Amino acid sequence: MLIRKLLRTAWGYKAQFISMIIMITLGMGIFLGFNMEWRTIEVDTGRFFSDTNYADYRLYSEKGFTFDDLQKIASIDGVDRATRYLSVNLDIKGEKNKSLALDVSESFNVSTFLVTDGADYDENSDGFWLSDKFAAVNDYAVGDTLTLEFRGVEISGEIVGLIKSGEHMICVADKNQLMPDYSTFGYAYITPKKLRTAVESKMKSTAVDELKKSGIPEAFIDDSLSRLLFTEKDIGEAMDQVYAQINLLSAMDKETLEDAVKEQLGRTIMVTPKDDHVVYQEAMGEAEEGKTMGSVLPVLFLLIAILTMVTTMHRIATKEKLQIGTLKALGFRNRRILRHYTAYGLFIGLVGTGLGMLLGLGVCKLVMSENGMMGTYFDMPDWSAATPAFCYPVMAGTVLLLTLISFLSVRQQLKGTAADALRPYSPKKMRKMLLERFRFWDRMKFGTKWNLRDLSRHKSRSAMTLFGIVGCMILMVGGLGMRDTMAGFLDLLDNDISNYTTKVNLADNADKKDSLSLAAEIGGDWESLGGISLDGDTVTLDVVHNPNGMLNVIDESNRRIDLRDDGVYLCLRLKDRAQIGDTIKFSPYGSSETYTAKVIGYNRAIMTESVTMTASLADRLGIDYTLTAIYSEKDADELPSSELIAGKQDKAQLMETFNSFVQIMDSMVVILVVAAVILGIVVLYNLGIMSYLERSRELATLKVLGFRNRSIGRLLISQNIWLTVVGVIVGLPLGVGVLQWLLTALAGEYEMKLMLGPLTYSVSILLTFGVSLLVGLMVAQKNKKIDMVEALKGTD
Amino acid sequence: MAIVQFENVTKTYTSGDHELKALNDVSFTLDEGKFVVILGPSGAGKSTLLNLLGGLDSPTQGTITVNGRDISTLSDNELADYRAATVGFVFQFYNLIPTLTVYENVALVSEISKDSLDAKQMIAQVGLSDHLHNFPSELSGGEQQRISIARALAKNPKILLCDEPTGALDSETGVMVLKLLLSMAKNYGKTIVIVTHNQSIAKMADVVIRVKNGRIRSVEEQAEPMSADEVEW
Repeated sequence: MLIRKLLRTAWGYKAQFISMIIMITLGMGIFLGFNMEWRTIEVDTGRFFSDTNYADYRLYSEKGFTFDDLQKIASIDGVDRATRYLSVNLDIKGEKNKSLALDVSESFNVSTFLVTDGADYDENSDGFWLSDKFAAVNDYAVGDTLTLEFRGVEISGEIVGLIKSGEHMICVADKNQLMPDYSTFGYAYITPKKLRTAVESKMKSTAVDELKKSGIPEAFIDDSLSRLLFTEKDIGEAMDQVYAQINLLSAMDKETLEDAVKEQLGRTIMVTPKDDHVVYQEAMGEAEEGKTMGSVLPVLFLLIAILTMVTTMHRIATKEKLQIGTLKALGFRNRRILRHYTAYGLFIGLVGTGLGMLLGLGVCKLVMSENGMMGTYFDMPDWSAATPAFCYPVMAGTVLLLTLISFLSVRQQLKGTAADALRPYSPKKMRKMLLERFRFWDRMKFGTKWNLRDLSRHKSRSAMTLFGIVGCMILMVGGLGMRDTMAGFLDLLDNDISNYTTKVNLADNADKKDSLSLAAEIGGDWESLGGISLDGDTVTLDVVHNPNGMLNVIDESNRRIDLRDDGVYLCLRLKDRAQIGDTIKFSPYGSSETYTAKVIGYNRAIMTESVTMTASLADRLGIDYTLTAIYSEKDADELPSSELIAGKQDKAQLMETFNSFVQIMDSMVVILVVAAVILGIVVLYNLGIMSYLERSRELATLKVLGFRNRSIGRLLISQNIWLTVVGVIVGLPLGVGVLQWLLTALAGEYEMKLMLGPLTYSVSILLTFGVSLLVGLMVAQKNKKIDMVEALKGTD
Repeated sequence: MAIVQFENVTKTYTSGDHELKALNDVSFTLDEGKFVVILGPSGAGKSTLLNLLGGLDSPTQGTITVNGRDISTLSDNELADYRAATVGFVFQFYNLIPTLTVYENVALVSEISKDSLDAKQMIAQVGLSDHLHNFPSELSGGEQQRISIARALAKNPKILLCDEPTGALDSETGVMVLKLLLSMAKNYGKTIVIVTHNQSIAKMADVVIRVKNGRIRSVEEQAEPMSADEVEW
């Protein structure tokens, strides 16, 4: 019988029950969704990395590694597996603006791939294993032919398989590209044997040139003659130079490995852990970003949901006081009554959490699935949904907490005798407010006084409403502000930092002198990016030559810095390392030299943590560097072709790759803003209805006295509007604060400056007021139907 | 001169398939300035009669004319204006606004009535000038009902409608409140209609309308009504 009563009572309070379930669903759903997102990134990428033997460490040497070097490294105690490795960006012949990273894993036991179509890896194969995503976008299939140009030699062959590789899970040409763009860049693997053939062909063509130069008639020059000019050993040495990387699997820490490598090879080698590799770094960065986001905004949702639950359950319990008293008078034991009413909280908790789990899964899948937001970013075979372990106790805890809230609310009503419980609930007695001591109080309209006193009489309800509006405002400012900041960042990159038309990426083995002549021929600015060790950490040394303003370095206030030659600039993330005027010591990888330089300023670095200096300072210090890119105002077509050039990137095209990043951001913002609006509507409607029910007797009295519906509606709406004004005033700076906190927490990845456009302010404020007005009107509408006769029956 | 005229008024409440005739073809007239008591047991239809007269509800059939105006077909807003200008209510449970002080509760009517009387003066007349700034919850039941009378009269209505005005009070306080109600109504020349099941109050009325089962049983004019002191409570 009591169960029937439970269901009927729940139906009687359906507005409250439904809104509480929606609140818990939303709170739990957003909380789970965001937290599942980062956990799924960790789990799925982790599995993929493990399946494709993603390297724990990459050793770089410009001079390359010999087979002997590899064996020495592999023999280090703690190194599980090692391979010589090549990864080089090459243009596809016959295609405009399409290039591939060509990878070779000599031993094919580290940095391997999974085949999704075609043949498995075979060390004797003469074909290409091509990225399946690149193949799909560019209409390549197994059986098609592919030709790449490697150091002036064509590497041609059939596509034998389509693959996915952990090394290129985020397929970007370099660290300056934010998002993959498979229409222009992909990756492919070949066997070491095929690479050796290419190297041999190159050597042959060099030999032919030499023979021609020495005056031997072309008719006498053939393969066997040219082959006489170099030996197997020469080919081996050339291969040694090509393998500029050793990739290895090891659980050792970086310092120990570095020491062991130095001891084995007798020279300092640049050892980069996977944390510094763009793929792992970005993937973990995404997970970290998710953790940060998951720790603030969704928690806010859940908190608002639970607090609203406290207020609503308390109100329902007081409204049920007479029924509680009746049950008690009938002879029901306290425990039974408690169990009955506690079931409400349990019911709301279970249904809300259950639906929240579904919503959470939906939110997670919206982000983490092949067709979801991350689908354009990560290229991996399996997409699952993983929940962080701490979410289970949070779910159980929330259900328990909600049950406890109803338990405590009802227990309060059960205190005393049955007669006490049967006495109707009497609201708190009115007390004068502080405001009433001032003269202006007497001049206030009755409606204003009425609303002010009502707010002060029902403090918890007012506080909850305010909390809801503030939360709604924080979510909107946070969401829209993130978009503004991102847009501002891209605008900065497009207009203030990059003034070039084409970025010319130079080959890894490009000679410095030749590169400088090419830069002079092309015109424009250039830079050199190389790894240095600063206090034991790997950071980038950015040597910049920018007299033409094609590539600018900007300060904390986004103004262009005219680089000086008397010292270095630290990026903002390294600001706490040294003050202006301090001296820093650093050592480039592959060199045993340590250099000292004075810090003369800080700059906003776009991607990597970096130390920036002018070319003339680098020359004066005697740092050995090679040019990595030339920035020119000419179009890609107008640039000369050269062996030194590994690829050309249009700025417009590069900026285009950011668009998908912005789209991801936009979808997140839409989720947050929609959630904020729903949250606002549900919280305000729930509390609005509660306030309306509590005041229905007063409203009926006003109606009887002769107040029109519209004047009474105005009274109700104006209270909402006041609370909204206060909520907006409090919520706006809080929203900016939360955003600033998020940006600081995410600063490990980017150095973005908080930017908020006037549109964000106005949209957030207008939407919040819109929600408040809408809910006010919905509640005021109910006033028309108030039954004056019914409402006036009985005592207060 | 007739101020109220009920002509063949029927009020039917429908709940699902069930129909309840709370008033069935009721007709009567009331003269201005009279003290009228509507008497009847619970469920007789007396409160429905008062609600229709007060513009809280509309009849299903028939016409109700008050002060020369048919109120049975008025819109929501017109009814609100009618309540604001023509009738004043006194309820069994006072129905004061708990968040407004005594003074504010009475002064409140000045926001809707163009012809309202001075709130402080009205409170003085019910003898509660010392409690101007108290909240209703700080007053006794009798005091709250006195404020309710002050509020009803402050609108300066033509008719004062009272629904069991002494129902929630002990008899001594009830008599006191009743005396005050009658003397104030007389001073201000108001027609007063009291709905009650208390036979004793009927002895003081100029006109007694007896209601039973939704019909008027009798309309009785008393040439010499008793004073409150003469009635045995």
